[in-house]
Amino acid sequence: MLNEIEQNRKERQSAWEYVINYFRKRSIWLLHYCTGCGAVELPPVMTSRWDLERFGVGPMATPRQADVFLVTGYASIKTLKRMIRTYEQMPKPRWVIGFGACTINGGIYYKSYNVINKLDRYIPVDIFISGCMPRPEAILAALEELRNMIQRGEAKGYDRYVKNYDWYKKNQKEILEREGSLFGEADDENK
Amino acid sequence: MIDLFTDITEIANKDGNKVYDIFFGPNHPGMHGNFGYVVDMIGHSIAKARVNAGLLHRGFEKIMETNLWHQNLSLIPRICVVDPDPNEAAYCGAIEKIMGLEIPERAKFIRTITLEMSRMTSHLMGMGSVGGATGLYTVMYLMLADRDRLLDMFEWLTGGRIYHIYNIPGGVRRDLPKGWKEKLYGLMDFFESKLKEYDEILYRHPIIHKRLKGVGVITAEQAKKWGITGPNLRATGVKFDTRKAYPYAAYDQLEFDIPTEKEGDALARANLVRAEFEVTISIIRQALDKLPEGDVNIKLGNPLKFKVPEGEAYAKVESSKGEYGYYIVSTGGIKPYRVSVRGPSLPAGLFLCHKHLPGMRIDDVALWMNTLQICAPDFDR
Amino acid sequence: MKTSDILNKTKELFPYIATELFEEQQGRVYVCSDHFLNVLVYLRNSSFVHLANIFAIDWIEEKEFELNYNLWSYDHNSSIIVKVRIPREKPEIPTVLDLWEHGQVYEQEIHEFFGIEFAGNPDLSPLFLHNWKEIPPMRKDFDTEEYSKRAFDVGEREGAK
Repeated sequence: MLNEIEQNRKERQSAWEYVINYFRKRSIWLLHYCTGCGAVELPPVMTSRWDLERFGVGPMATPRQADVFLVTGYASIKTLKRMIRTYEQMPKPRWVIGFGACTINGGIYYKSYNVINKLDRYIPVDIFISGCMPRPEAILAALEELRNMIQRGEAKGYDRYVKNYDWYKKNQKEILEREGSLFGEADDENK
Repeated sequence: MIDLFTDITEIANKDGNKVYDIFFGPNHPGMHGNFGYVVDMIGHSIAKARVNAGLLHRGFEKIMETNLWHQNLSLIPRICVVDPDPNEAAYCGAIEKIMGLEIPERAKFIRTITLEMSRMTSHLMGMGSVGGATGLYTVMYLMLADRDRLLDMFEWLTGGRIYHIYNIPGGVRRDLPKGWKEKLYGLMDFFESKLKEYDEILYRHPIIHKRLKGVGVITAEQAKKWGITGPNLRATGVKFDTRKAYPYAAYDQLEFDIPTEKEGDALARANLVRAEFEVTISIIRQALDKLPEGDVNIKLGNPLKFKVPEGEAYAKVESSKGEYGYYIVSTGGIKPYRVSVRGPSLPAGLFLCHKHLPGMRIDDVALWMNTLQICAPDFDR
Repeated sequence: MKTSDILNKTKELFPYIATELFEEQQGRVYVCSDHFLNVLVYLRNSSFVHLANIFAIDWIEEKEFELNYNLWSYDHNSSIIVKVRIPREKPEIPTVLDLWEHGQVYEQEIHEFFGIEFAGNPDLSPLFLHNWKEIPPMRKDFDTEEYSKRAFDVGEREGAK
């Protein structure tokens, strides 16, 4: 599997794309949408102590002009609906970073009836950061890794979304537009 | 009077105006957290507001019934993100009331010190947001940088910057490390010298006075009957504080006074937070002077088999936003039967918007939310 | 006045209630659902102005819901919790919207999570949940871990193809 990635690297990007990725990775704009409790570590990263602007990264209010969507923490069902709309409004190339353990497998709220457990089934994620909650240095390390991935041509989450569009839409519809109860009549008989 | 149940299209169409609605919504740079209002507007001002809540709902009260008593300690700081220590103090306080425990003196004083430090971080972030919402970004940068010094002290003591999980039923988890006390004395001197700088950049700024004056006025009678507590109540002239009226931890052994303001608008609330900084610094200094020796917790046995006897109790603390209360029902088992959380932002966030927002201009909404310290996680839970 | 004196005075006026003193500043009043509004009006007029919280407890073994009204007095510095029990099959109770206006929000929340009907409350539409098709989630016969497994599929990690 790793050999395949090595083989495809040369086929993945042409010389023109190599030059473009060199410039793209130096000016990444972060969408300023605080979806969960991880958002309280974003102001210390953006302000003077771990200054994010020296890397060329700045906050952006509207998704129409943003590059990276930082999903800070858990996602409830109402938030998932807005997140999908926001993700589809961002122009390509667009990347998603999952911040915190709740995006990986549900984290501390895995028993909850209103929090989704695996973010990767609904929108494509490029990098996960683990921890609850991760330190601000972890955000800087993740952005560094994202820049390296962009330069190598590996950060193609948006292509994955387009190629597997039906699979993603089926998962989203299952959650957002459920028609009946999950506990049917067969369970009542078994009780 | 326009409230939640009137239909405004007739009022609008009479003058030939049109009604349009805007999502002052979750994805908004002026919004404090993931929470939204859907506002119906006529011209430049708001006619009616609807609440779009539930974006942060995690089902805490249901999850807490399926966990052991000590497992809930790692869940409850996440109910309020900016000020997590009152949650732990109230939960442990309610369990100690049911069991009839009296925690050791040293633990009471350490609990007081951590609660006051947490209040200070919350106020620094709140005031920084007021500056940021007005366009004064220097204020936000300076206050957030100073807040980080307090978070470093927390990390030295408890191991975590934001969520501490330090209070347990029976006291606190571990003792103070060597050198922590002296560093905290130095930090309090530093903050006292910084208050002059905060005055210059924020509290005596003419733009703040013009924009905050007269926004969201509450009278004392209205605050008492609408369930508004905390600094919002004291800014209307009522001299009430839970730390003096129903004391907990070591507050009955310390001396401090309760500042109040009279007008009840957003400027009075901001000035009150400035006065509370000085009270907080003096409480921390007194608690550090009077800190006694001794144990820091009562040994209660194996946490996996810990049982609370049958009973119910209500414990409340004064957090930086208002009255924070926990009501715990126990039937003698290893898991709680019912835990009910009273968040301080619910009357302000879900009810006061129907009284204040009609008639307000849209550029004042972010300031109104920040001075009332509406924090969405504690009513969504 | 101390809390014990307030509780004794209330019991003299309303002989059909039961009172209990838990601590020096905390007491409880138990009353049935036909007469609880009288007790609330009396307490509100004798300086218990602040309604902190309304919440419900599901006693599934005894087949009852219990509603709790958490009151506080600024003059006497005492806290009294009024408890009312209603049957579980047909849970209905009058609203307290006329006494405390912000009670409407608490009742909307309880209706969504427990399924209790409040007669006289004009707006009981869902506030927190989106497209909810099961029984009200805070009831004791709803299993949240099982629902989470079936809906969100924690288990083998599937990737996009």
